[in-house]
Amino acid sequence: MHISDGVLPVSITIGTFAATIALTAVGVRKTKDESLPKVAVVTSAFFVASLIHLPLGPTSVHLSLPGLVGVLLGPSAYISIVLGLALQSLLFQFGGITALGANSIMMGIPALMVGWLFKQLKGTTLKSHAIAGALCGFLGTILSVGFLAALLYTGGEDFLGVGKIAFVASLPVSIIEAIIANFTVIFLFKVKPELLK
Amino acid sequence: MIDTAETIYIPFGGMILAAGLLLAIVAIIIRRLLKAARDRKAGHHHRHEHDWSVPVLDDCSDLDSVFHKWDPRLKIFSILVYCFLVAALTKIIWAFCALIISLAAVKLAKIPFRNTKRRLMAMFGFLGMFLVIMPLTVPTQPGDLLLFFQPIPVPFNVRGLLVAIRIILKAFAIALIMEPLLNTAPLPVTIQALRHLRVPDMICQMILLSHRYIFVFLNEANRMYTGMRVRGFRQKTNLATLHTMGNFLGMLFVSSFNRTQRVYEAMLSRGYNGTFPVYTDFFARPKDWLFGIAWILLGTGLLLLDRTGAFIIW
Repeated sequence: MHISDGVLPVSITIGTFAATIALTAVGVRKTKDESLPKVAVVTSAFFVASLIHLPLGPTSVHLSLPGLVGVLLGPSAYISIVLGLALQSLLFQFGGITALGANSIMMGIPALMVGWLFKQLKGTTLKSHAIAGALCGFLGTILSVGFLAALLYTGGEDFLGVGKIAFVASLPVSIIEAIIANFTVIFLFKVKPELLK
Repeated sequence: MIDTAETIYIPFGGMILAAGLLLAIVAIIIRRLLKAARDRKAGHHHRHEHDWSVPVLDDCSDLDSVFHKWDPRLKIFSILVYCFLVAALTKIIWAFCALIISLAAVKLAKIPFRNTKRRLMAMFGFLGMFLVIMPLTVPTQPGDLLLFFQPIPVPFNVRGLLVAIRIILKAFAIALIMEPLLNTAPLPVTIQALRHLRVPDMICQMILLSHRYIFVFLNEANRMYTGMRVRGFRQKTNLATLHTMGNFLGMLFVSSFNRTQRVYEAMLSRGYNGTFPVYTDFFARPKDWLFGIAWILLGTGLLLLDRTGAFIIW
């Protein structure tokens, strides 16, 4: 779910843009040159993942993966989210250019939080990694929808209904994201554990 | 509060709505069936399950128009400012004007219709939600017009519908202007212009690299997915599907990472130091400045009309 142009009030649009510029600047400073390939990979994969639809009963949902981005990139996650969203907005019109700041806050802050959480919880065993992965996948999605609802609410009471419905609709998606993150983390732990460092 | 709202009861309105909805659903099903039949005839099976095509961002960059000749730095700056001004509009009539201006700009930039259609269709999910939900959920305020489609007990608030329409008009106006903004110069030139506008080098490099990798990974993902299908994988709503897709994603990460690492090392060994050498120089003519100022004035004008024209309530 992305916020499109023209929804949020001007103050929020500009405020979230300023916050995004600041957070990106911090991210740029914290990202070392040699981890650039990793950031580029996750950004592109984050983008590609949004094209993958999974069936859910009669409809289908697509993944958004803020949780996995946080797990894989930690403090660099915000740059990856901003770039991924910028590309999605420019190529597909998912979310608008003026809403880029708000969308980045909405997915980037949960990604940063989840990245920190994963580091605390992951432990050394496969089991602890798997549980932390699932939790991060779930929290990443549900927190970002929470941010979405909160941002919509800044547009006034009129938008409360839309926010609530988006939140309820995202519950099944969060569970799917949790399961996917769980399996992906297990896979990476077995195949290329250095990606989870 | 609710007493001051105007209420109109539409007898049997609920029935009419239900009939309309039913007709729409039937029409959609028939269209799907026809499309599936056509796809089968053409030999495309299960196309909907895995249509991962990504549009090319700068496929019209070799045309010739006012936008193509415009200095990219001024183009990016003034159109971005214009976008924010449009996003601040609050009345339907001016949002509609902005949409007309965007359509004119697309026409002027000679962008074909399929590009614009693609952008508008992509936004339909999010905006359609507003169109359906807003009229039913906005809190009633004095002066609102409520429609009751009997026997449905929930009022349909016309103000909510107008808010949704205003948002859609603004979103469409800004989405359409993206085509003249991005599709009138090759992407490396646009990125170069961003660098001149003080966007950090690292961000510019990352946009360029990620954009390139998207197509590489999609290719990879398609290849892997074809392999999975050949081995009998079909998506269903169950844990096994999620398990497979989780592994698929993990494998995509691993193989992409290995490849990127190799490419990065190859770049380093060829002397890559964080920037690509560029030999395009920008040159802003007075005409370019005028065009940029005109766009910003246009946006400011719309916003002024929007904020001062109090006599127009929409």
